[in-house]
Amino acid sequence: MSERQPIVILACMVFQELFKRHLPPDLADEVIFFDYGLHRVPGKIASTLQMQLDSIKTPSLVVLGYGLCGNGIKGLRSGIHTLLVPRMDDCIAMLLGSRQAYKHQFAETPGTYWLSKGWLESGSHPLKEYQEYVERYGEEEALWLLDQMYQHYERLALVAHSQEDLERYRPEAQEVARFCQRWGMRYEEVLGSDRFIRRLIEVAQDLSKADHEFVVVPPGQEVRTEHFL
Amino acid sequence: MSNILSEISAAVIAGNLGDIADLTEDALDEGLSAEEILNQGLMPGMDHVGVEFRAGRMFVPEVLRSARAMQKSMDILKPLLVESGTRMVGKVVIGTVKGDLHDIGKNLVAMMCEGAGFEVRDLGKDVAPEAFVDAVKEFEPDIVGMSALLTTTMRSMQLTINALEEAGVRERVKVMIGGAPVTQDFANQIGADGYASNAAAAVEMAKQFVGAA
Repeated sequence: MSERQPIVILACMVFQELFKRHLPPDLADEVIFFDYGLHRVPGKIASTLQMQLDSIKTPSLVVLGYGLCGNGIKGLRSGIHTLLVPRMDDCIAMLLGSRQAYKHQFAETPGTYWLSKGWLESGSHPLKEYQEYVERYGEEEALWLLDQMYQHYERLALVAHSQEDLERYRPEAQEVARFCQRWGMRYEEVLGSDRFIRRLIEVAQDLSKADHEFVVVPPGQEVRTEHFL
Repeated sequence: MSNILSEISAAVIAGNLGDIADLTEDALDEGLSAEEILNQGLMPGMDHVGVEFRAGRMFVPEVLRSARAMQKSMDILKPLLVESGTRMVGKVVIGTVKGDLHDIGKNLVAMMCEGAGFEVRDLGKDVAPEAFVDAVKEFEPDIVGMSALLTTTMRSMQLTINALEEAGVRERVKVMIGGAPVTQDFANQIGADGYASNAAAAVEMAKQFVGAA
């Protein structure tokens, strides 16, 4: 092939900043970020991505900025396109830089609630949920609900990609942390790595570099859980 | 259907904790049996919740509130169900597998199995294969339910099934599994008897396993 396929990136909003920093300006024909809220509804990530995929008329290399996300992208059909998918459980491993880095963190403290810039901005954290639930259901029920969801967590960890970012998000993260002391959670900061996003962008330019960290789904096939195990 | 039963269903759906106990007492005063209240009031409510959750019209906190409302009614009904000798349809041992701390889905399944007339032993979270084996030996359940929410901990399901086999008790139970990353293919692969994609489906499957569906 003399000319490479057009590249389209469909990614979760949590990666917006990392892509902005590392994506060469003229590499992708289209970059679309999707709202965090898709995670709240079973099947919504796949159906939203599918609609977007199906609307791309030229056979393209579609790069996903999503992991398996609790089977959130399972069943996604490539159609006329080729999909390049991070072989990751979810965004945390990607923000940390590798599956290995995530496993290391998980082995140390399985009960970790992760905060990142993206999740803080979207208001997906226990303190924000508390405020929402109090308004909707009152104090007693709000606390009961949160206890159901978070009582087993041990650690609240902020992951960011530079000291400046850690400092920038620290005040908000610590506010969440104070609330999470309710469950005895301790607060920690973890410096993430842009290694994986850089690799994803590199592999997008040369699929022959796709190794065990990626799933390549050829045209006419679909994303399966087994790809990630 | 009796008006009060549909009110009970509605209270479960709305997660209306304030009214559910009174409604349950009222239904009993009207002469309805605990079993009727359970099967025609609470369960249809929870079934509806299951459908709405899958469709994205209800979210986790709302489902939890509904389950809590149901539980509150069950607290009143349970002694009556036992007293009246209402058949326990079977026994279930359930737990979140080793390494995994997520228990919302598992709790929901446990609660709904109880609602459907099962005697449930909930082993909690981070349950080692040996603990499942011990519980099977001691409690002699018909069904073992396992939950995992992470691809990294799903493998513990396989280890648990292996442990049941090694202990020679695998054939005594039906094993069903669930959790966000779990699939039917995975269930087949590890030799589980069934996979359920949500709490309501898990209860249906449990009932089928004991011939109570």
